[in-house]
Amino acid sequence: MLTYVIRRILILIPMLLTISFLVYTALELTPGDAVSALINPEVASRLSDAQFAELREAYGLNKPFIVRYGIWLSNVMQGNFGHSLAGGVPISTIFLDRLPATLELSLVALLFSTVLGCILGTYSALKRGSITDSSLTVVGMIGVSIPEFFFGLVALLIFALNLGWLPVGGRLLPGYETIWDRVPHIIMPAMVLSLMMTAGVMRYARSSMLDALTREFITTARSKGLPEWRINLLHGFRVALTPVIVLIGFRLPLLIGGSVIIEQVFQWPGIGNEFIGAVRGSDYPLVMMIALFSVFAVLMASLIIDVLTALIDPRVRLS
Amino acid sequence: MAGTQDVALSVKDLKTYFYTNNRCNKAVNGVSFEIRKGKTLCIVGESGCGKSVTASTIMQLLPKLSRIEQGQITYHSDDGDVNIEQLDRDGKEMRAIRGSEIAMIFQDPMTALNPVYTIGFQIGESLKYHTDLSRSEIRAKTIDLLRDMGISLPEMRVDDYPHSYSGGMRQRAMIAMAMSCNPKILIADEPTTALDVTIQSQIFELMEKLKTENETAIMLITHDMGVVAELADDVAVMYMGNIVEAGTVDQVLRYPVHPYTRALLESIPVLGRGRDQDIQPIAGSTPDPYDRPKGCQFAPRCKFRVDACDVMPDEVTYNETHRVMCWRYQEFLPDAE
Repeated sequence: MLTYVIRRILILIPMLLTISFLVYTALELTPGDAVSALINPEVASRLSDAQFAELREAYGLNKPFIVRYGIWLSNVMQGNFGHSLAGGVPISTIFLDRLPATLELSLVALLFSTVLGCILGTYSALKRGSITDSSLTVVGMIGVSIPEFFFGLVALLIFALNLGWLPVGGRLLPGYETIWDRVPHIIMPAMVLSLMMTAGVMRYARSSMLDALTREFITTARSKGLPEWRINLLHGFRVALTPVIVLIGFRLPLLIGGSVIIEQVFQWPGIGNEFIGAVRGSDYPLVMMIALFSVFAVLMASLIIDVLTALIDPRVRLS
Repeated sequence: MAGTQDVALSVKDLKTYFYTNNRCNKAVNGVSFEIRKGKTLCIVGESGCGKSVTASTIMQLLPKLSRIEQGQITYHSDDGDVNIEQLDRDGKEMRAIRGSEIAMIFQDPMTALNPVYTIGFQIGESLKYHTDLSRSEIRAKTIDLLRDMGISLPEMRVDDYPHSYSGGMRQRAMIAMAMSCNPKILIADEPTTALDVTIQSQIFELMEKLKTENETAIMLITHDMGVVAELADDVAVMYMGNIVEAGTVDQVLRYPVHPYTRALLESIPVLGRGRDQDIQPIAGSTPDPYDRPKGCQFAPRCKFRVDACDVMPDEVTYNETHRVMCWRYQEFLPDAE
């Protein structure tokens, strides 16, 4: 088991290197650079080419592409993430500020969608063909097919503006500090963020469960005289769970990608919100670090999923 | 007929129908038989003749779209008779019988065990629900059971998952599971079809041992006549949902009186007779269950068909244990030849 985990971690290194290079290249290809973004167009029109060149030199933007990539990479490996071009704040500080909020949102959404999706999907499978099953199928379809930001705006309109039950956005009001003060703020963004994933997990758990219930070991379990709940949950659901966990692993990137938009809609002070600002301001170093961090998060998530599947399904441990 | 005290289970005029796409498949269409204590009843027949459905009906393990239409399944327990067909399908009484009084082993041990639980856990489950044993007693008993079934190092193997067992070992584990609560009846639905021949004989030896040691009544479903000759005390031959001939193994195999049984026996190649032996396949194929012949179900394929066969013959019990469903059986009686 330990060698399995170590091997999985070692595989991550070349992956991260490749992706960091791709991210750096992609950003290099975007039009405009930090200098043209930083400087007010009115001021820029009065600057001479020599002054531009001077500014580019100051920011290290005139060196060849590969060299800049090399410098950047070696800095990152030494833990020096560089500074944001806008304002000169160290990127590590930005991460420390913003990361907890994003993790909080993603984890709550992940937990919520997994638990709710599994419960609803299993229930749906057990009551196959009932009205509840059919309505859940319809709700699931709607959930999968409508984009999150739309749900976000509708939820804001209904629950925050019309009903006034929940705050419009933000993470915490000034002067409030307890956990319970945070709850009303996180409910809406987390629900909206997890909606699509809940629907997906639900549909998948349903079909996986239906599949498991037709397997022969279910008949064996029944022939032993076990009660129905034990047959369904211990024998059926346990086997149905493995593919569901793999699906959740594949969906994790969606959660991270989705949180960029949802953070914007709900003014959630997380990494995603910062990311949009950085892209708009052509803040290269920050965009790269956030992109790289997202990649890292996705790879870590897939590692966790692999370990989890190995724990749940004894057959995986062998290979 | 044997006295009731020797009988573990009697089935009378049982009909099990399947309903799919608004059509009715009369899978089991009026069968009667008895399973005697400490004896083996073999049910033989082609695929789709209703053997397995009969077995699942006894355990009430039928799929949702099927039901017992008619008839009685009487389990003669030590505390009086139980009419299984009247019990709630997954109700408490039925669950108390399953696994504890009547146990079942299945055709394919590869799929019949849950891949994510250890063998020990799966055998222990039966004990947990049918006995008052404590956790450690269950474990000890599970290990004993595995040892009895001829699994080496049971103390270690008990914690293994099914995928690290071979096919034969899995079937042994299945039998250990089925025998864990000393059931009065063991139903084996083609238990060796998925195993190779050497393992097959080991499994049958094991079942034979259980039968003599524990007085377990065995209902063995098979389509292998060799197995029947070796193991059976009683034989019932099924065709399209009916028992066309039943009797002791001697009567049925030595003096078959139903044309189907005779045809079945003639269609078996015998090892050692070489490649030019005279094998008579049964002409035609089994009819579509939704489009059955009017009278005797075997008539369209039967060499001895007469006009009377357009009407279903009654079951005739022509001596104490041997019965048959055929209009012309008298012509095949041993003394007629």
